[in-house]
Amino acid sequence: MTQPEAVLVEVETLFALVRERYGSRLDAEQLAGVRTAIEGIVQAARALRAVRLTNADEPGQRFVPYRADS
Amino acid sequence: MRAEDVVFTPVRRLAEGIRSRRLSPVTLAETFLDRLERLGPRYNAVVTVTRARALEQARRAEREIAAGRYRGPLHGIPYGAKDLLATAGGIPTTWGAAPFKDRVFDFDATAIRKLEEAGAVLCAKLAMVELAGGMGYRQPNAAFTGPGINPWSREAWSGGSSSGPGSAVAAGLVPFAIGSETWGSILSPAGNCGLAGLRPTYGRVSRHGAMALCWTLDKLGPLALTADDCGLVLEAIAGRDPADPTTVDRPFRYDGAGPGGRRFRFGVLRGVTDGCEEAVRENFEHSLDVLRDLGSVEEVTLPDLPYDDITRTILFAEASSAFEDLIESGDIAGLTAPEDHYTAYARDAILAKDYLKALRLRGVMAREADRVLAPLDALVAPGRATVAVMLGGEVRSAIHGTARDVMGAVGNGAGLPAVAVPNGFGARGLPTSLQFMGRAWEENLVLAAACAYQSRTDWHARHPPDA
Repeated sequence: MTQPEAVLVEVETLFALVRERYGSRLDAEQLAGVRTAIEGIVQAARALRAVRLTNADEPGQRFVPYRADS
Repeated sequence: MRAEDVVFTPVRRLAEGIRSRRLSPVTLAETFLDRLERLGPRYNAVVTVTRARALEQARRAEREIAAGRYRGPLHGIPYGAKDLLATAGGIPTTWGAAPFKDRVFDFDATAIRKLEEAGAVLCAKLAMVELAGGMGYRQPNAAFTGPGINPWSREAWSGGSSSGPGSAVAAGLVPFAIGSETWGSILSPAGNCGLAGLRPTYGRVSRHGAMALCWTLDKLGPLALTADDCGLVLEAIAGRDPADPTTVDRPFRYDGAGPGGRRFRFGVLRGVTDGCEEAVRENFEHSLDVLRDLGSVEEVTLPDLPYDDITRTILFAEASSAFEDLIESGDIAGLTAPEDHYTAYARDAILAKDYLKALRLRGVMAREADRVLAPLDALVAPGRATVAVMLGGEVRSAIHGTARDVMGAVGNGAGLPAVAVPNGFGARGLPTSLQFMGRAWEENLVLAAACAYQSRTDWHARHPPDA
């Protein structure tokens, strides 16, 4: 599968999921808008996936254990 | 000082008048309340004029100052707050969105409370793009109050998403306002309206009581006539707040030092003007000439990373969760902009692994940005690539992937402070702007640089002729 084909498959798969969840409340024009937005999301995701990180690269967001009296 | 002389007077000078009792806080409040009521509708700038609360606060300020209890430079100064900050006393907090237009909270946001403690006078809740633009709007008409209208041209937009703060300060309806920025919502209206706008470091100002769009990106900050005024306001609203665990215990005191004999070291990202309008590029080049008189300017580079994609993915994923109820219920159909009725549904397509990859890349981005900024005092760039869009036009934005904004993606994604100031005019006589972005917690440094620039230019002293 070529890269454009893989992108298309991913877009269509995710679009099917969103259409299944919300399609009943959207008209054809709105669904086309949703599909366009999903194309952007997939393009961004692929750009993120293309960057290699190491096991040590943690999310830039710390979890802090909670304790009411501290 | 006469009442008519106070409009377009910076906070610092108003404060001198109040402190010396040449200026009455009550008279000042009445002047701006009258302007808000009379001119606010012209710019779609106001949701609620808070006349009763303002006059009560102004009378209290007058009594305290007369008794020798002067609280500081915001004592008796009128201001407006973007309508995503909770206010008690029956004052609605609408988030700019029709589904919430009658909603009332029973408490004040921390920023509102701290401004009250500083003696400032809340005169209005100001208009904004619905839900701070979090549902994917692509046009100025995306608020139940109508599109924010630019005082420099009533055919142009003032936002977004802090459209009301931009319009109101630029039109002389309030001396300063509080806005919020997730990605661009302080710097953009400041740039569109020819104002100073300060985006503080993430965690500098409590978000308690502010609408959450993206928990890890939202910041509150001032829009004002000068960078110096932004520093005065930031000092009042900054600080640790137990109600917002992301705030830090780093007290901020605006040093207002000005440049003195300091020589600044500025950096410019390679290619930062790519995609800018010609006038924006030309005005930026002129600004660099001014900055070379203040220090050095050098070209710098960041590694090739998908900066826009990182910050956009975080924003979309968090906004989708923050407004889960509104989206799942279908109530987004009650929003104003047609595209806000459906765009958010697409964000179910963001996979958890990709969101986490964006968060991991945010760490890399933050380290790289700090490495580039460490030897510099500030990165400088155009505040926006274009002048304000026309009211019937399309809002092109890196958030939608229809423009690039590396400075905004890095600055917001890494939570870095930046201040925008006016640096000229472009198409249709609309303002252009210059931004200074610094390392985390270096607000005093970027403000000093911006103040130094403003000491050499007079763009900030020009005001819309019709206002």
